[in-house]
Amino acid sequence: MIKISSLTKYFGKIQALDNLNLEIKKGELLGLIGPNGAGKTTAIRIISCILQPDQGQVMVGGYDVQENPLEVKSMIGYLPEEPNLYERFRAYDLLKYFGELYGVPSGELESRIEELLELVGMKARAQHRINTFSKGLRQRIGIARALIHDPDIIIFDEPTMGLDPATSLVIRDFIESLKGDKTILMCTHYMDEADALCDRVTILNQGQILDMGSPQELKSKIHGDIILNVSLNDPSQVNLADFENMEMVEKFTLKEDKLMLSLQIRRDISRIIEFLGPNLKAVQTKEPTLEDVFIQNVANLNK
Amino acid sequence: MSSWTITKWELKNTLHNRKFILIFFLQLVVLLMMVLFFSSFMEGIESEEGISLTPSLNQFASLDIYDPQNILINQLNPEILEINSNKIDIALNRLEGGDVTGVLILPSSDDFNLEEIKPVPVNLYIDYEDPKRSVIKDEVSTAQNKASSLISERWINDLTPQQEVSQPQIQEETQGEALPLQLINKVMTAVLLFLPLFLFGNLIVDSIVGEKERKTGEILIAMPLSRSNIILGKSMAVIITMALQVALWMVLMILAGYSIENPGLVYLIVVTTALPIVGLTSIIAAFSKNYKEAGIGITFAYVAIIGFLIVPALAYISQQGRYVSASTMTLAIKVFSGEPLSPGDIIVPFTSLLLISLISYYISIWLFKRDDIVFGPRPGILRLLFEFATLNKVVNYFKK
Repeated sequence: MIKISSLTKYFGKIQALDNLNLEIKKGELLGLIGPNGAGKTTAIRIISCILQPDQGQVMVGGYDVQENPLEVKSMIGYLPEEPNLYERFRAYDLLKYFGELYGVPSGELESRIEELLELVGMKARAQHRINTFSKGLRQRIGIARALIHDPDIIIFDEPTMGLDPATSLVIRDFIESLKGDKTILMCTHYMDEADALCDRVTILNQGQILDMGSPQELKSKIHGDIILNVSLNDPSQVNLADFENMEMVEKFTLKEDKLMLSLQIRRDISRIIEFLGPNLKAVQTKEPTLEDVFIQNVANLNK
Repeated sequence: MSSWTITKWELKNTLHNRKFILIFFLQLVVLLMMVLFFSSFMEGIESEEGISLTPSLNQFASLDIYDPQNILINQLNPEILEINSNKIDIALNRLEGGDVTGVLILPSSDDFNLEEIKPVPVNLYIDYEDPKRSVIKDEVSTAQNKASSLISERWINDLTPQQEVSQPQIQEETQGEALPLQLINKVMTAVLLFLPLFLFGNLIVDSIVGEKERKTGEILIAMPLSRSNIILGKSMAVIITMALQVALWMVLMILAGYSIENPGLVYLIVVTTALPIVGLTSIIAAFSKNYKEAGIGITFAYVAIIGFLIVPALAYISQQGRYVSASTMTLAIKVFSGEPLSPGDIIVPFTSLLLISLISYYISIWLFKRDDIVFGPRPGILRLLFEFATLNKVVNYFKK
C-alpha cells in the first residue's frame, strides 16, 4: 500500500531522513518508534504530502506523492502530533469543513459526521466550540476529522501523547478497532502501545531504519524468551564460567549481588534455581519488552 | 472548487466573528464622522468665512501711543491691542511701572510735515521682560505697512489731475473649483474610497500567518487541495470582505452628499485595486513566521502602495492637463469627476494592476509551497531573492 524507496530529506544542513526504505502492506498497522529527531514525523509528513522529499520516491496506493499529491492526500487520514484545530469552530462545523475539503458528497456528509461523533463519543458536544475542549476531547475530534472521508490509509503521529491513561486507553481501543480494515501507520514514543497495537514495528534513528519486524520478533532478537533477575546471598561463590557453558543461558551479567540471566525456555528457570541452591536469595522473572529492544538498538547506539 | 470551499468557510468565520463585526461597523462610524467633518470643513472654505484654528488674541497686549497726526493709531488692530492715547511722559512712566507692554511715539505736526517726502520717525519702546512684546512688534509693523501704503496712495492722488473717471467694470468669472479646493475635495474623496482596502490587511495576515502560529496549517496542507488553492481561496475571501465594505462606504458617501459620477465603474476600479494589495499582503503573510513580523512588513508595504496610489493622483490634479497615470486612484478621480477618458487612462492602470497581481500571487504561492518557509528553517530574504531570480527555479516550478 505504501512503498518508500531511498527517501532522503534535509532541513537546511540537517539530514532528517537518510536513504529510507520501507514497505507497508494493505491492512497492516505499522509502528514507527525512535528517539526525538529520528525522522518519524518527517517520514509521515512526506507520505502525507505535507513535505516534499529531496531524494527518493514514495508511492501510496500506486500514486507517487510528488506526481499525484491530490490523489494521495484523498486516500490518507492524517492526525498530527498536536491536534491543532480551529479554536472558534464548533465540533460539528469543523467536521463539516474538512468533509467539504475532502470532497465528501453533501448528501453523505451529515450522516458521516453523526456516525463519527457517535464513534468517538462526542455526539453530546457536537455544538460546543473547540476552545472549550480538553486535550483528550480535541484528540477525539481530531481522530473523527482524520476519518471524515473514510480513508484507506490512516496516519497517527503520537496519538496518545500527553493524554491521561483512561483517554489513552479509549484512543488505543479505537485504533485497534480500525485494524484490518485500514492500513495504519503510527508514530509513538510509548513502547507498550506499539507492542500492543502494531503488526510490525520499525525502529528509526537518525533518519535510518535500525531494525524492523513484529514486536515478538524484535524482542526475541535481543533476549531469549525470559529474563531472570536473581539476588544472591554471596556473589563470590558464583563462577561465571559455569553460565558460559550452559546452553540454556543466552546472556548473563553480574553486578554486585544481582545476577541477570536471559533464558531461551521458560522451563529452564527451575534448573537455574536448582543450580544456585542456597546462594539464591530472591528471584524475579521479566518478560522482554519493546522498551528493551529500543534501549538495545537506540540507547546503546547513541552512547 | 477547493479554493471556493476555503473562501466560503473563511467568509463564514469572518462574518460570524463578533470582533470583526464590531470593527466593521466601527469603521463605518469613523467614516461617517470623517465625512461630516470634511463636509463642514469644505463649507467653511467655500463660504469664505475662513476657518481659524488660532486662539483668540482679544486685547492681548496693551500699548500707549502718542500720535497727534493720527498716522498709525487708526491702523492698529484694537481687537488685539488695548490702545491708549497718552502724552509721552505719562506713557513712559506707565511702561516703567509695568502697566503697559509698549509705548509708540510718533512726531507731532510741529516737528514733522507729512507732506514732505521723507521717512516718518517712529519710536517704539517695549518691555523686553514681557513675552507679549512680540505681538506689539507684529501689530506695529503691520500698521506701519498699511499707513505707508495709504500715504503713498494719497501722494499719487494729489499728483493726478482731478477728473471724472468712470471706474472700470470688473466681472469675475470662475469655472470649477479653485485648485486647493480641487486638491482637498477630489483627493479626500479618493482617499475615503480607497481606505477600506488598507483596513483589512489583518484579515489575510490572520488567515495565513494564523495557520502557522496556531499550527493548523499542517492539517490544511494535508487536505486534497494545492497550496495555490489555499492562498487564492483565502485571498478571495478577503477581497470579497473588502468589496462589501467599499460598497457600504460608497453608499454612505453618496447619502452624505458626495458627488460620485459613474459609481458602478468607480466601485469596480476600487475593488480591482484590492487584488494586488491583497496579493502583496499575502506575500508578506506567506513569508512571515508570526504576526509581529507580518505587521512590520505590512507597514512598509502599505506606505509604498499608498505612495504609488496617491502621488500620481496629486500630480495629476496639480498639473491640470491630460495625464495618463498607472495609479487607479487617478483613474477613479477622473471617473468620479466625470472627466473624459482616453484608452490609455484605462489600459495603463489596469495593466499595471494585472501585472502586480499576477506577480504578487505567483510569489506568495511560490513561498507557501516551500517547506523551509512553512516549516523552517527559513532562508534569508537575500537567498530567497537570489533563488527567485534564478531562471531554472522558475522553469522547475512550471514543470511541477
